[in-house]
Amino acid sequence: MSAIGLENLSKVYASGVTAVSGLSLDVDEGEFVALVGPSGCGKTTALRMVAGLETITSGTVRLSGRIVNDVSPRVRDIGMVFQNYALYPHLTVAENIGFALANKGVPRKERNRRVREAAATLGLQDLLGRKPRQLSGGQRQRVAMGRAIVREPAVFLMDEPLSNLDAKLRVQMRAEILRVHQAIGSATLYVTHDQVEAMTMGDRIAVLSGGRLQQYGRPRDLYARPANLFVARFIGSPEMNLYQATLDDSGDLVLGSQRLALGGRPTPLEGRPAPLEGRAGRPVIVGVRPEDLLLGPGETTSSSGSGSASASDSDSASDSLGAGTLTADVRVVEPLGSEVHAIFSIDAPAAVDPDLTASAEETDDLLPGLAYNGVARLDPRTAVRPGERVTFRVDPARLHFFDPTTGLAIGWPGDRAPDQAGARADSA
Amino acid sequence: MTVRTSRRERRRQARLEEQEQSIPVELYGLRRGTVPLLTALAFLFATFTLIPIAWILINSTKTQANIFETFGFWFARPFDFFHTFSLLFQNVDGYGTYIQWFGNTALYAVIGGVGATALSAFAGYGLARFRFRGSRVAFYVIIAGLLVPITALTIPLYLTYAKAHLINSIWGMVLPSMVSPIGVYLMRTYAEISVPRDLIDAARIDGGGELRIFFRVALPLMVPGVVTVLLISVVAVWNNYFLPLLIFNINTKYPLTVGLGLWSGRAVNSGDADLYPMLVMGGLVTIIPLIALFLVLQRYWRGGMLLGSIAN
Repeated sequence: MSAIGLENLSKVYASGVTAVSGLSLDVDEGEFVALVGPSGCGKTTALRMVAGLETITSGTVRLSGRIVNDVSPRVRDIGMVFQNYALYPHLTVAENIGFALANKGVPRKERNRRVREAAATLGLQDLLGRKPRQLSGGQRQRVAMGRAIVREPAVFLMDEPLSNLDAKLRVQMRAEILRVHQAIGSATLYVTHDQVEAMTMGDRIAVLSGGRLQQYGRPRDLYARPANLFVARFIGSPEMNLYQATLDDSGDLVLGSQRLALGGRPTPLEGRPAPLEGRAGRPVIVGVRPEDLLLGPGETTSSSGSGSASASDSDSASDSLGAGTLTADVRVVEPLGSEVHAIFSIDAPAAVDPDLTASAEETDDLLPGLAYNGVARLDPRTAVRPGERVTFRVDPARLHFFDPTTGLAIGWPGDRAPDQAGARADSA
Repeated sequence: MTVRTSRRERRRQARLEEQEQSIPVELYGLRRGTVPLLTALAFLFATFTLIPIAWILINSTKTQANIFETFGFWFARPFDFFHTFSLLFQNVDGYGTYIQWFGNTALYAVIGGVGATALSAFAGYGLARFRFRGSRVAFYVIIAGLLVPITALTIPLYLTYAKAHLINSIWGMVLPSMVSPIGVYLMRTYAEISVPRDLIDAARIDGGGELRIFFRVALPLMVPGVVTVLLISVVAVWNNYFLPLLIFNINTKYPLTVGLGLWSGRAVNSGDADLYPMLVMGGLVTIIPLIALFLVLQRYWRGGMLLGSIAN
């Protein structure tokens, strides 16, 4: 029996805005599930429906197997951490944490014991007598957690609890939250817009966009096998490079003026039966992760021209580079210490993200000569400079293919729709 | 000693902070000369407001003859303050005793004012934080209540009271005083600003019942608003003349307003020897509790109630 079960959950506001549409997912006992998506995707609304703070338009919410659609939040046995902490400003830390126990009528002695226990778990022992205004951001965050865990709730809900902390503290608190989760073992639904948080914390991740579930699975599965273009773009940083391409009759992939040989095999991808079969001559969207672009040894040449020079002026040259290589002009180099991001332009039309307002051409207008359409993640010792022309080796097995019309990943058994694919993608 | 020092130190600190936070007027787009001009205007207005109080204070020390014959803004012998004050405890010509009216007024003001504040706080919070069928209409009806002049309601009010046996009843005075449209309006606005929804949601998740959430979470945050409404309501009842005039015809039930009005009429008509000094003294004693109330409640008007509660 799952701790949280959402079935076809929908929320339509009186204004007609659909916040959540047909959301189905399960959170198992003791599991940590991250609900991630861009702002306005309905993740907080979904969480609030689980908490009982938002009415449900249709569908069901189950907690420990019991349908709770019409059950008041005060008897749902949940703990919740709010994005803005929502501490009681006139109560001390101890009173804040013990508020829920006092509501339940837990005797003072027992209450004090449990408050001290929760405070010890979170390192708040010395702050119990203080008011929220006397605490730092990280301490307030911990008090909010303490208030939620002190009751040992069956279900733990968190609504972007780290979004108000600075970057360093956020990383610390990530570990802290996981530690507390392991200590109390409650099923946790964690809402965040930060895919790094989702990837690092979630046992499973549910990606939401436009109120719909895009994919639900383990972090590495979402990363390695995104179900659609949205997930491909959303998970991973820097995001996946995506280009419009065509599969020619010989089984090669044509990106703009470049040709990427797939090794003569129409089924280059491990575990994917005949992904591109029957698609010869048709457009596909091809995706490659920044770390899957490997700098060809000794293949860099200095680009004599300005930004306008690209692979387009040397069709034959790119052909001669052989199977699995792409030629690109490096525009910007970002050294991060542990790695280098080479931002490049390649003569292939990028698959335009419908959510982005600025198209590639507009970028070109703004920053002539600096337009780029790809990122490679390279070894920090790589001596690559802006203006250089480089050759990337690409392992065809690491390419991702998407249908340009539906946006769905090509090559997974049955080419399932994302909503269905979401439910059990992790079992694949 | 240390307490006094630290208090002085704190005041100095506060003054320094204020200076640091004050922004040169030029940044507001004002010219330098504008500020002294506005200060002078404010000073004039303050003088205008305080002159009657000064007059009443000075003349409470005078005899009836001196009130009329000496300069109004300076003292004159004999010093009659305590003698006049003692007369407030006497029944004048069977018209009634000041101190009894004072007691009545205090009773009406406390019950009516506290009642109005409590009802306003409940209603304002309810209207601010609950959406229910008709909540909007209810609020507009309350607002409309602000616009109806009480004089327009005289006859219907009197007839209703007569039918409900509320003539000469304390409840006839207290019950209408408990209904304060301006109080509800202020409390609704204040609750909306000072009680964040997330805080109420958090309390619900924490298992709090609605009544407990109101008293334990919302009300403490609404204190400055509550105090404002309390002051407004108490003053409104304290100064109410029309309603008691309508419902009371026994002078032992009168509040100060009606009682002093009675004396005033008597003084004009009969030229009674000591009535004018008593009227002046009565007026002075009437305003003292209101000033005291204001000073006592002042410390509850403070900002920053939500500091540390909600992160932005």
